[in-house]
Amino acid sequence: MVEKPLGILAEFDNQDRLLDAAKAARNEGYRSLDAFTPFPVEGMSEVLRIRDHRIGWLSVIGGFAGFFGMLLIQLYVNADFPLDVGGRPILAWPAFFVVDFEIMVLGAVLTPIIGMFYLDGLPQLYHPLFSTPRFSLASDDRFFLYIDASDPKFDKESTRAFLRSLEPATIEDVIE
Amino acid sequence: MVERALPLDETLHEISVDVGRVPLRFPARVPWAIAMVLSLMLVGLFLVSITYLFARGVGVWGLNIPVNWAFAIHLYVWWLGLGHAGTLISAMLLLMGQDWRNSLNRFAEAMTLCAVVCAGIEPIIHLGRPWFFYWMFPYPATMGVWPQFRSPLEWDIWAVLTYLTVSLVFWYIGLVPDLATVRDRARRRGWRVFFGIFSLGWRGSALHWDRWRRCYRTVAVIAVPLVVSVHSEVSLLFASGQIPGWHSTIFPPYFVLGAAFSGFAMVAMIAIVMRHTFQLGDLVTERHLDVLAKVLLASGLMTAYGYVFEVWDGLYSGNVHEIATIHDRFFGIYAWSFWGAVFFNFVPLQALWLRSVRRNTVLLFLIATSVVVGMWMERYMILTTSLYKDFLPSSFGIYHASFWDWSTYIGMIGVFFTPFLLFVRYIPSISIFEDKEVLAREHEESGNG
Repeated sequence: MVEKPLGILAEFDNQDRLLDAAKAARNEGYRSLDAFTPFPVEGMSEVLRIRDHRIGWLSVIGGFAGFFGMLLIQLYVNADFPLDVGGRPILAWPAFFVVDFEIMVLGAVLTPIIGMFYLDGLPQLYHPLFSTPRFSLASDDRFFLYIDASDPKFDKESTRAFLRSLEPATIEDVIE
Repeated sequence: MVERALPLDETLHEISVDVGRVPLRFPARVPWAIAMVLSLMLVGLFLVSITYLFARGVGVWGLNIPVNWAFAIHLYVWWLGLGHAGTLISAMLLLMGQDWRNSLNRFAEAMTLCAVVCAGIEPIIHLGRPWFFYWMFPYPATMGVWPQFRSPLEWDIWAVLTYLTVSLVFWYIGLVPDLATVRDRARRRGWRVFFGIFSLGWRGSALHWDRWRRCYRTVAVIAVPLVVSVHSEVSLLFASGQIPGWHSTIFPPYFVLGAAFSGFAMVAMIAIVMRHTFQLGDLVTERHLDVLAKVLLASGLMTAYGYVFEVWDGLYSGNVHEIATIHDRFFGIYAWSFWGAVFFNFVPLQALWLRSVRRNTVLLFLIATSVVVGMWMERYMILTTSLYKDFLPSSFGIYHASFWDWSTYIGMIGVFFTPFLLFVRYIPSISIFEDKEVLAREHEESGNG
């Protein structure tokens, strides 16, 4: 008995062949596509229609939260324990903006990074892809196109035949 | 024709092998072990020094009133400055699309981290009661008091902590894909577990790369003004006081440029040593050293402008105390530190106008060393020459570094090198995937042209 695969992985030996294959798969009507590459391939996001602007917004939100949060802390502590130094103002706005800027930066950096790992589902130390024999080369010099079994157009035989028509170096089923 | 950042005959696989072999089959065991033993001996010296310091108090240093800020604070500025080049190389050159930075950013960032840790320790051990350093944080203390947010001393801890955190996460997210590469190359189980855990299960998915790239660039955009703000803030420790020689608006840019200058020198030194020790000449090429030298020359000339402006600023002020401080810098008891800074920073540097010198590793290393020494003297000069004579002759006083000043400083060099040596031993010290990206682009361009 053959298990139903989780998806099919086709290996290409350079990024241009992978990009062409990804375009062909899009045109063929596949939507649950992914690519695995040693480095971010120029143009791949456009081909796969990845339009995720959440990272940028997370940074903006984190920055605002840091800025106003730290400002409130500084205003509060100076109002709570007013220390008169030679009659200088207690709520010294220009002085507060230094620390405020730093904490704004901290928020704007940490939220997108934490958000990125959360959205990626990482850390996830094991994934079925890792037991596919040639997949380890995706971090070296090979470029993989992946069609997931959840795709409505996915069919074990015809998808395989379609991928074969793209002339990849190898084709492998990804098994649970 | 534009010179390439990497030789075209290199393949993607060779980059994985070239860099990945360093942690997996370490090529320079004996030199590394010797360096590590020396470095740990320095750490031992540091521990002895601060134990004595904590037991007896900051009086074991040569500190006195008026010179109550000396080695600890001048070295704080110096270490932090060394660190800034790492962030600038990583972030600013990434945004400017400078491909050559991809061979240098990883270890430059690691150098930043080690330097910022050293910088962070300096003011803490300079506190009379360092175990109360947490009083700098606004926590609801039973004493009912809060930190003073109107003071540059309080700004300082936030700037350094933010800088340390941002440097750490920036370095780490750039590292994750490379840890995955090494994980996939590793044969021994121990290595696979080690790199497997720290690579977080990175798979190189297009979706992940897309988010990663947005995230990395976002952090880079923010990191550039952060560097400028951190060292500007450090300069405000001085410039917001009224002491002659400190109270000047040139200080923030002057400090930032000096920091970048010394940092680029440090990166050049480390690049030359690593390239030689690990035979990474294919990845850190002569062209990399050439551009580093040009950046060093440019930032050095900008720092020189800061010197000229500082003197002019004092003279133009017409203030008798400012002019007296300039006179003391030129001819006073610490004149050696002023002229030493001028000489070591700017005289050997002029040789970098010559292309043959920029590409000569030995000469470039010596010039970079001279800059690091020169900047050390500059920071020392800024502190002592201003503090030892302020306004009233009755409060003048001389400072001499004591044995413990020196032993803490020399020991701190071990605190810098020990984590750095661990980094070069266990972590891919050149960015594998970013170099592959450059190479793939170069192949494409050469194919089209």
